[in-house]
Amino acid sequence: MIDTSTLTTEENITEVANALLEQAAKAETSIEINNVTVSFKTPAGTYTAIKDISLSVQKGEIISLIGHSGCGKSTLMSTISGMVKATQGQVIANGKTVTAPGPDRGIVFQNYSLLPWLTVYKNIFVAVDSALKDKTKDEKIALVESNLKMVHLWEHKDKLPGQLSGGMKQRVAIARAFSINPKILLLDEPFGALDALTKSSMHIELLKLWNLDNREKTIIMVTHDIEEAIFLSDRVVVMNNGPAATIKEIVDVPLSRPRNKKDIVHDPKYMEIHDRLLSLLIDKFSIADEH
Amino acid sequence: MKDLFSKKTALSVLYFMAGMFILGGIWALVSKITKNEIPSPTDTWVVFKEVMQQPFQNDPDYKGIGTKLLSSLGRVAIGFGLGSLIAIPFGLLMGSSKIAMKMINPIVQILKPVSPLAWFPLGLAIFQDSPKASIFMIFICSLWPTLMNAAFGASHIPQDHKNVSRAFGFSTWKYLTKILLPFSLPHIITGLRLSIGVAWMVIVAGEMLSGGMGLGYFVWEEGFNGGNIAKILVAIIIIGIVGSLLDKCFTWLQQRFSYAA
Repeated sequence: MIDTSTLTTEENITEVANALLEQAAKAETSIEINNVTVSFKTPAGTYTAIKDISLSVQKGEIISLIGHSGCGKSTLMSTISGMVKATQGQVIANGKTVTAPGPDRGIVFQNYSLLPWLTVYKNIFVAVDSALKDKTKDEKIALVESNLKMVHLWEHKDKLPGQLSGGMKQRVAIARAFSINPKILLLDEPFGALDALTKSSMHIELLKLWNLDNREKTIIMVTHDIEEAIFLSDRVVVMNNGPAATIKEIVDVPLSRPRNKKDIVHDPKYMEIHDRLLSLLIDKFSIADEH
Repeated sequence: MKDLFSKKTALSVLYFMAGMFILGGIWALVSKITKNEIPSPTDTWVVFKEVMQQPFQNDPDYKGIGTKLLSSLGRVAIGFGLGSLIAIPFGLLMGSSKIAMKMINPIVQILKPVSPLAWFPLGLAIFQDSPKASIFMIFICSLWPTLMNAAFGASHIPQDHKNVSRAFGFSTWKYLTKILLPFSLPHIITGLRLSIGVAWMVIVAGEMLSGGMGLGYFVWEEGFNGGNIAKILVAIIIIGIVGSLLDKCFTWLQQRFSYAA
């Protein structure tokens, strides 16, 4: 970081300028959402899920989208993944306008979405085989193996999804998304169906995987869990209630990494962010006592 | 092997025996009331043993019941096999494409309720050959249940699975082999199971019409026209047992290819 508080003198001006340029190049934009509106045609008329949303995400950032059920956070996510087309505006991911899903964006779906008739190993292999067409078979096999080992499921590789617990299924889904080595990882309520204990260990595992990759992957995650959002993210995007949902506020999470689950909750900054998010999401904090 | 001798298995066998005993009792009673017009179980047993003496006799002038059974099964296999080969892809196509569904479904709805026997004379006219006409009839009646069930399977693929295909850029071939077929397979097998049941029922009727071959001929010529009612009863028992074995095969396949989500 260039210390901007020191005065720029005539002698070091080129040096400062070069350093700033370098910094700007590093802070590469990963996702650019420009005035995106998504409407669906329903029998009852046109339903606008999200309206005029703009957001810029840097490479390597972890962003959480948070809001009440039906506020369009999943719709916004699907617009980034290319599963849903923007009615107006556009999404630029990795420098390209999004028109369809692509292997540069890995998706972890809400309900794992593993194919129940394929083993854990084959579920990942099929995805790698389809997404990375220019790799040789040996390279694909190596990718599946390393990613399954990364989530500690190598010994379960021959099981069918029906034989796994929820947490294990989610790890398979995450390994599948990581194995195609996408620059952007999109997680749609990835831990929503897990119990609190499993959820906590999955948070750590996710950050481990992100660290292993030099924190170069951009992660966007839909959640409705405030603690989860703060622990994982650099910024939390709070959305208004739909229809025609917009961004209510973006809350920065300037907590240093690596974060410790136990210590972080006592950090005054954490508590401040937690309170802020809570008041953004919840209108009433108690029931009226008077009759 | 352990549970073969368990208490539960022993009880099932006992209940089965009890059921058979009651059926035998009613049969004997009917036989008595009709003054042996309907042969008693013991008389039928004598005829059964007689018929079973040389079941696979295959002389030009006389064929044993086993030979007749195999020729019926052969025709069912060919007709059912050809019908399934047509019904599965068309069913999957109907289930996958709304246009195909709108094109094919009305035709199926009109042809499905037609009695398989109505197709027999048409088959005769086309092939000028009664064995081929029976195969044609089996072919037609094997189509519908498989077609409808394959279409149902293909049209109920969960959005989750389709999303996986889109997200990871599956080719059409991969979508077919890794999602469409595996998901539809249990439904297809249900269709096949229904089809083989219909085919087995229809073959006997077809062979009565065509004459000269198979179990249907045995029932009609040797049994009814030959005035040997016991032979009809023997044939009914054999047809029933074979039919239930065919059904068992497909039940086994169903279990083999079902999966927990």
